[in-house]
Amino acid sequence: MMKKVTIDPITRLEGHGKIEIFLNDEGNVENAYLQIPELRGFEKFCEGRPVEEMPRIVPRICGV
Amino acid sequence: MAKLKLALYWAGACGGCDVAVLDIHEKILDVAALADIVFWPIALDFKYHHVEAMQDKSIDVCLFNGMVRSSEQEHIAKLLRAKSKTMVSFGSCACFGGIPALANFTTRGEIMQRAYIEAPSNENPGKTLPQTRTKVAEGELELPELYESVFTLAQVVDVEYFVPGCPPTADLILKVVDALATNKLPPVGAVIAADKTLCDECPRKKNEKSISKIVRSHQIIPESERCLLEQGMICCGPATRGGCGALCIKVNMPCRGCFGPTAGVLDQGAKLVSSIASIYQANNDDEVARMVEEIVDPAGTFYRFGAADSILRTKQLQKH
Repeated sequence: MMKKVTIDPITRLEGHGKIEIFLNDEGNVENAYLQIPELRGFEKFCEGRPVEEMPRIVPRICGV
Repeated sequence: MAKLKLALYWAGACGGCDVAVLDIHEKILDVAALADIVFWPIALDFKYHHVEAMQDKSIDVCLFNGMVRSSEQEHIAKLLRAKSKTMVSFGSCACFGGIPALANFTTRGEIMQRAYIEAPSNENPGKTLPQTRTKVAEGELELPELYESVFTLAQVVDVEYFVPGCPPTADLILKVVDALATNKLPPVGAVIAADKTLCDECPRKKNEKSISKIVRSHQIIPESERCLLEQGMICCGPATRGGCGALCIKVNMPCRGCFGPTAGVLDQGAKLVSSIASIYQANNDDEVARMVEEIVDPAGTFYRFGAADSILRTKQLQKH
């Protein structure tokens, strides 16, 4: 089992993220994974809504 | 007086509420004089383990924005609740579900299918979906569980105050800061905004209170002085709490209800349906049918920000 370093949450950016870093026996980075632990579903819930309302819905994808 | 300890967090959110705090401009210096910020992911590098190490009730005030839709968001909401003396539901997502709660009219499965498999920008031949646990060569990765529905903050933890708005305006945020600075906090459960509806503070002239046709915003250029609803545009003002300063109205756009319902109203959307129906001139079944036809997206209009907090709540009310 490799040693794992978890950075959670990643900060000072817009959005949510977590980084998992796996270290090998020498203590060097073997691999690292960026994970996005969030989904709101704009891709789905915008479907079927009036097109003229989109400018008031999709800005909430990112408000930064 | 010792400085207050302040935490700010975003759950299922866009970051606009965090930026709104910065929109108080130089008054942010008053906040800095008043409080030490102990957690604020958008701006400062504190981790979850720092919060976990804090003593219970050691944070004076937590401004929590965003809705709750995952096991992580629920966990952090409960963690911050335990660590905070005062929990503030900050912004429309935390208060009512907000725009992300439009997802309550669909299901987790449909969202996953669209976002990860069907969306034209995807390259996912293996049809891989996010898993709560994934084995990789080096070990195991974990993701939070995505719940079936969007929840408001108050549906998962006790909340002392509510600050509505998408996002809350600078004036309201300053009201909160003032209340904290002078230790003159309102009664628990208070909504920091106006008590009356947006119609009550709307500067437009209202005359007829009757409409015979509903129009969409691209179909007319509305007169700038006259009530938008009287001009046939659906405006959520009659069923929405005031206190925003009529920002949308002032730029000729009808209200979409981001301040939520007024006190005593159980369901903002139902109240709005009642308001529209009472002024629409429909005297027979055909005219009623025409009205229904003219409202192109009732759920997305009447519950634009409030689906999670409504009687409807969701298509399938369950976490798992």
